[in-house]
Amino acid sequence: MLISTLVMGGDETYYQKMGETLSGFSTCTSVEDYQNLANKFRVIANVETEEWLPLYYEAQCYIMISFMNGLSAQEKDAYLEKASSILDQMNEMAPHEAEIKVLEAFYLTGSLVVNPPQRAMNTTPLIHSAIAKALAMEPNNPRAIFLRISNEMGTASYFGEDTEPYCAQARELLQNWDSYELRSPIHPNWGKEEVEGIVNSCGQ
Amino acid sequence: MKPHILLLLLTLAPLGTMAQTRISGQVTDQAGEGLTGANIYLEGTYDGTTSNLEGRFVLESSETGEQVLRVEYIGYKGFRKPMALEGGTIELARITLKEELNELTAVTITAGTFEAGDKKKSIALSSIDMVTTDGSSGDVYGALQALPGTTTVGESGRLFVKGGDSRESKTFIDGTLVYVPYSSSTPNASVRGRFSPFMFSGMMFSTGGYSAEFGQALSSVLSLQTNAMPVEDQLNISLLTVGAELGGTKTWDKASVSTAVSYNNLTPYMRTVPQYRKWEKEPEMLSGDVSFRLKTGKSGLLKLYATANRSNLTTLEESLLEPGTAFPYKLVNDNYFANASWTGEVGKNWILTTGFSYTHNLDKVRMDSLQFDETLRGSHAKVVLKHRINDRIRILAGSEWYSLSFGVAFPGTETRSKASYLKNTLTGFLESEIYASSRFITRVGLRYEYSDYLKGSSLAPRISTAYKLGEAGQVSLAYGWFFQDPDHEYLLYSPELEFERADHLTLNYLLNRDNRMLRTELYVKNYKNLVRYGRSQGQEYALINNTGDGYAYGMDLFWRDKQSIKNGEYWISYSYINAERDYLDYPEQAVPSFSSKHNVSLVYKHWFERLRSMLGTSYHYSSPRYYNNPNAPEFNAERTKPYQSLNMNWSLLLKQNVILYFTVSNILGYEQEFGRSYAAVPGPDGSYASKPILPEAKRWFLVGCFITLSRDSSINQLDKIN
Repeated sequence: MLISTLVMGGDETYYQKMGETLSGFSTCTSVEDYQNLANKFRVIANVETEEWLPLYYEAQCYIMISFMNGLSAQEKDAYLEKASSILDQMNEMAPHEAEIKVLEAFYLTGSLVVNPPQRAMNTTPLIHSAIAKALAMEPNNPRAIFLRISNEMGTASYFGEDTEPYCAQARELLQNWDSYELRSPIHPNWGKEEVEGIVNSCGQ
Repeated sequence: MKPHILLLLLTLAPLGTMAQTRISGQVTDQAGEGLTGANIYLEGTYDGTTSNLEGRFVLESSETGEQVLRVEYIGYKGFRKPMALEGGTIELARITLKEELNELTAVTITAGTFEAGDKKKSIALSSIDMVTTDGSSGDVYGALQALPGTTTVGESGRLFVKGGDSRESKTFIDGTLVYVPYSSSTPNASVRGRFSPFMFSGMMFSTGGYSAEFGQALSSVLSLQTNAMPVEDQLNISLLTVGAELGGTKTWDKASVSTAVSYNNLTPYMRTVPQYRKWEKEPEMLSGDVSFRLKTGKSGLLKLYATANRSNLTTLEESLLEPGTAFPYKLVNDNYFANASWTGEVGKNWILTTGFSYTHNLDKVRMDSLQFDETLRGSHAKVVLKHRINDRIRILAGSEWYSLSFGVAFPGTETRSKASYLKNTLTGFLESEIYASSRFITRVGLRYEYSDYLKGSSLAPRISTAYKLGEAGQVSLAYGWFFQDPDHEYLLYSPELEFERADHLTLNYLLNRDNRMLRTELYVKNYKNLVRYGRSQGQEYALINNTGDGYAYGMDLFWRDKQSIKNGEYWISYSYINAERDYLDYPEQAVPSFSSKHNVSLVYKHWFERLRSMLGTSYHYSSPRYYNNPNAPEFNAERTKPYQSLNMNWSLLLKQNVILYFTVSNILGYEQEFGRSYAAVPGPDGSYASKPILPEAKRWFLVGCFITLSRDSSINQLDKIN
């Protein structure tokens, strides 16, 4: 009885803290903001050593930083390195979690963007592989589907091929987006705006 | 303990009588600069904050009792301080964080070294560079010749580094020796590397002063790391104007197998494009390889690789003894190479690397006058243990065993005479890397070698240091002794020889900023105990001994700029080499024929986004080399033409999985001549007849198409059909 109260109490604080901290994403505009937010998730992760979600968002902050302007390639790599070590930690905690594979694909994309000519050859297959793993673990994960569509669409438009099939897939994904059941309010929930972006760019 | 505190908190919480404690302070680096964005929190609680622009912070907490304050910052060692919280204000003394030694930011030893890999900061040459740099169609060694310190020797194609002979350079794959890294060819014909640049994801090319881990090389070491585990199932098809290759990869969760078969035949090409060289049978080659990867445990990776290769060719060599006639020179080469390596953690901060390689090479040479078979069998086993004592000190210890048998048989002769020898070399090495700070590193190593054939041992000290001058610049100094066995042909004649020796002193300055890199190097090399012999009648190597010596000194300059031109990058490499030797059958000290004083390489690459194409151009210049004319009074005093070549290649990404590749070397058709070869004996008029040594052809063209089929693109194909 005491123990369950304890756990419940801990859980509530955890959800509350996570909720508070997650709202911080909407106001992040600079490296400092993301670093600050990453620190907050790190503090939660240090308390909730069984949870991968705080780590997920901490890594996400560092990946976001790597996309910011004004950083040298070396600095970007240092933040990505941090994200990579957190990913390793998460992969050990939850090896069959599709969301982590999605984040891994996101991290790899960040790494590729630092130096595309040098890294494309080795990194592109790794991105494909991460997305494929995510889809194998959870075929209807909307973020995994989004990454697949966006990747394939990028390739198709690069080679001057028809992108309409991907537009159709994006529209379908957007339509079904809200029917995807979140496991909890603090589970990853990003991507809808990005899919809307794709659909809008398709001109309909 | 912890549940009690939690319990206490839970019971206290509703009462709302907690006292707030305010902890304030400042986080700085060792220079006293405030660190922005440091994470300050109480261990095991949700209470935390982030330092501001001056590194200041205020942490408010309603926790009480004994708590632990922690401060963390990327790239710095964490700070930990137990404290009692009793409400009120705690003003902390300045918290100074020590920089953590990080491979990405710490100084590295750069004297003599070019390194490349995904995460290395001073990337000099990647595998893509190797394909898009030279007119040599993806030859590892051809591409390395665009780096300073090297000399292009057109009639060889091998690596000649800083006034050293090509046999003084050794190639290692995943730590194990490749005894025969080059293809086989007739004398005075250019060879290529046996391995595709795409096999490798990292390389270390050292032109002097290398670690005690490497031995049996007087001039340079090329250490290639093969790719890690592939992640996709693939089918690769390559179609070239000279042949075709079919390869496939199958992956599993923890293992993968790749295999490839290739066939090349230069007959159609050489019959179409005019050649200087006359052929009875143009080169033909069949090869196959297989590689296997297995992840073991948490961090281990096992790699196995094996390749088999058969090539044959017959040239028509103009006879110098009977002018106007030609004789066939037939060469059949069988080469097998296999290696295995395993690397993994064997404890916290202990990494074990083991490797084994086996090389079997048979060259069958058939001429009218002479027939011989040269057989080489070599093994190399290596064990290296690396230990990180703390973030300042690392040690490396290891041992190797080399075994080589080499023999020449003369099957055509009635007696079927044969000469061969077997040698075993045992080595041990110990090295430590010590960081005095993240700016200053010293590496001290010692290498021991024992040869049972030479019945002798050597002890080679090596020391190098590097000091970081600022954010971008650093100087590095290296000194060491290097030993190597004399070449096969001399050992075959006499075991009464010693190790040859070279001492290197290298000073290097490197500036690396915003995708621009300047690298300059000054070096001095002293050669001792080189093989020397006289020629007397009936005996090829008379009076063979180790009294030869020589020296080389020079300067390297390398400038690479990936920043100034949008979608373009260029590099300029210049080396000045001054070398002289008194060895082999030299009558006096002379400039060896493989050394040119001035060597220039210019490389430019441009990515055409809309054409999805990469254009690579390179220009190479080497000043005249010396060669010996036995008709002239002075030894090694004739000069070749300067070597010049302008090369171009074009790669077009036709579709996601189809690449078209086109390359041409020596576009402008510079006349290339690599000296002259002379008859072994004088003609009736008392003078030695001669002929020029020419490249195979004025230009070299290659058109290729590379197709990759993977599951991903098959999904794409399906989508299109739907």
